[in-house]
Amino acid sequence: MATKTSATPKSEPQVIPTPTKTITIASVVDVVGILATDSLAGQVYFMDTNKAEGSTGQGTENLRTVVSAGYRLVWTVIFLECEAYAAIDEIIIDPEYCEPEKKVYEGTDVSYWMGTVKKDITSPVPYTVKFKVGTRDESIPTASPLYLIGKGS
Amino acid sequence: MESKITIFSVVDVIESLSGGTLLNGNLCMMDNSPFESLNQGTPNLVTLCYPGQLIHWTILALDLQTPVAIRKITFLNQDGSSCEPIPADPTQLESDKLHLNVWSGIVPYYLVPGVEYRYRFELQMYEGKNCLMYVDTPALKRV
Amino acid sequence: MSQQLGIIVMVDVEAALKANTLKGNTYLFDNMKLQGSEGLGTDKLISAIHGSSYIDGSQANEQVLNWLPYGVGSLPPTLPKSFLADKSKNSDLKALEDIKALADKITSTDTDEFTNVDDVIEELKRISKSTGIKTQVQDKYSDTTRDLGTSGQKIMDVTGELISASKDKIPEINSLNPLITDISGEAVDKKIIYPAAYGSPDMVTDGWYWAASVDTSTPGTYAYTMDIQLYKLIWSDGVWTWIPVHMKCEAYIKISNDQKKNGFTNAGVGYLPIPIA
Repeated sequence: MATKTSATPKSEPQVIPTPTKTITIASVVDVVGILATDSLAGQVYFMDTNKAEGSTGQGTENLRTVVSAGYRLVWTVIFLECEAYAAIDEIIIDPEYCEPEKKVYEGTDVSYWMGTVKKDITSPVPYTVKFKVGTRDESIPTASPLYLIGKGS
Repeated sequence: MESKITIFSVVDVIESLSGGTLLNGNLCMMDNSPFESLNQGTPNLVTLCYPGQLIHWTILALDLQTPVAIRKITFLNQDGSSCEPIPADPTQLESDKLHLNVWSGIVPYYLVPGVEYRYRFELQMYEGKNCLMYVDTPALKRV
Repeated sequence: MSQQLGIIVMVDVEAALKANTLKGNTYLFDNMKLQGSEGLGTDKLISAIHGSSYIDGSQANEQVLNWLPYGVGSLPPTLPKSFLADKSKNSDLKALEDIKALADKITSTDTDEFTNVDDVIEELKRISKSTGIKTQVQDKYSDTTRDLGTSGQKIMDVTGELISASKDKIPEINSLNPLITDISGEAVDKKIIYPAAYGSPDMVTDGWYWAASVDTSTPGTYAYTMDIQLYKLIWSDGVWTWIPVHMKCEAYIKISNDQKKNGFTNAGVGYLPIPIA
């Protein structure tokens, strides 16, 4: 948040315990395009909320998100055609750095994926996101990798 | 008597692409023929008509924001064959001019009453290897 | 028959508020890429709209544009509209139950868990934290806070967990979705598009959306401006308040117009090409 984050911390207990910072990685998917081509190439766009620390590739298939150990990452999905359906089926990443898990918003069937960065990253860590689209059973992976990168790397 | 018949079709684009088929209720074909057309609401629609009538085909996506267009309508020989081939490589098909086509024509006088004249109804959804889908089951029949 | 075209406006709300501009902090998308839209995923979207006309010059099909604004770090739009309000209400009820349970524990004699006053205070603290913090929304035209629908709702993070915090510590919040409050500019002035806000029973679009029908008879590229309202969370007069902040975002439509032709003949209407039986 833009305001007051720099205020001197008082002895007030911190309520949300572990994550030092949350970054949302949002995806916009063209469900019809994916189903017509059997591919995510050119049909998905990623953006995150950490441009301030140097994330690049915003609005493309090849987002590079800047992270540090302890950051909580949340992946969400938005569809280009609002009648469509898509969801993340799997996130494939070196478990040494992050083990994202599927979560569901309480009381709904809307899912998101969440994982905490386990340690600082020195060289870029690639990952693949697999999406379930429409009513098709098998999921489709991103055509080229996304990356988590360390600060200043 | 009404001299124009509209054959209007509704397709569930996402369901069709997901399952790779226009069957299973993914394509509904209906008409407003003054005669008792057969199999309304299915891809086996038999539109009853008479020579000189104008027939007009339209298509609408059930999921409104998804793209679909009639790519081609080809009338088949009585044995189901056709000299018009189905495009071999769907990835070469472009979609951006399809909306300019008006699919309408006049029923010819040489149709034999009671005979079903089947046609291949080709739809294109977006572009890519799965974009082309068709049925060859609907027909016109002279009363 | 009308063709529905969608334009998605993704705003990095936090970054836009910090920089006080939508420039570089907005990602625009549409579903007209195959028609030739340019700049998807950037803040300079040119949406291609293919008009068509009959041989007499009349417009052959109606194109309808729909604008949908979302926040990059907001709760996904697929969540029910009432998600935030329900969760706020439920957490209040849960707190009442917890307090009652605590009272029961204290009065029951079969446990010595809460005989110590400090323990009771600790437990009360825990309960009060789990209820999160409430917010108000400040009216954009006055200093008074009014009920604008989001008032009394609690602050949530992007995973939907309620958040509690003191005035000294702003937590990691889920920014409220941006709203479009007006669409204006060249395309409207020249009567190319006729935008208006519509109510919708569709929960996905939060009940309101901006849509416009397009006059495709005059090909060309036209600019339009979206007035977008973001919300900034501010500690004011002892409560957290969402303050509306207004920004503008420009985009373009590129209209082409071609004449319809008959699909069977590539010209005018004729007899259907039916093989003789």
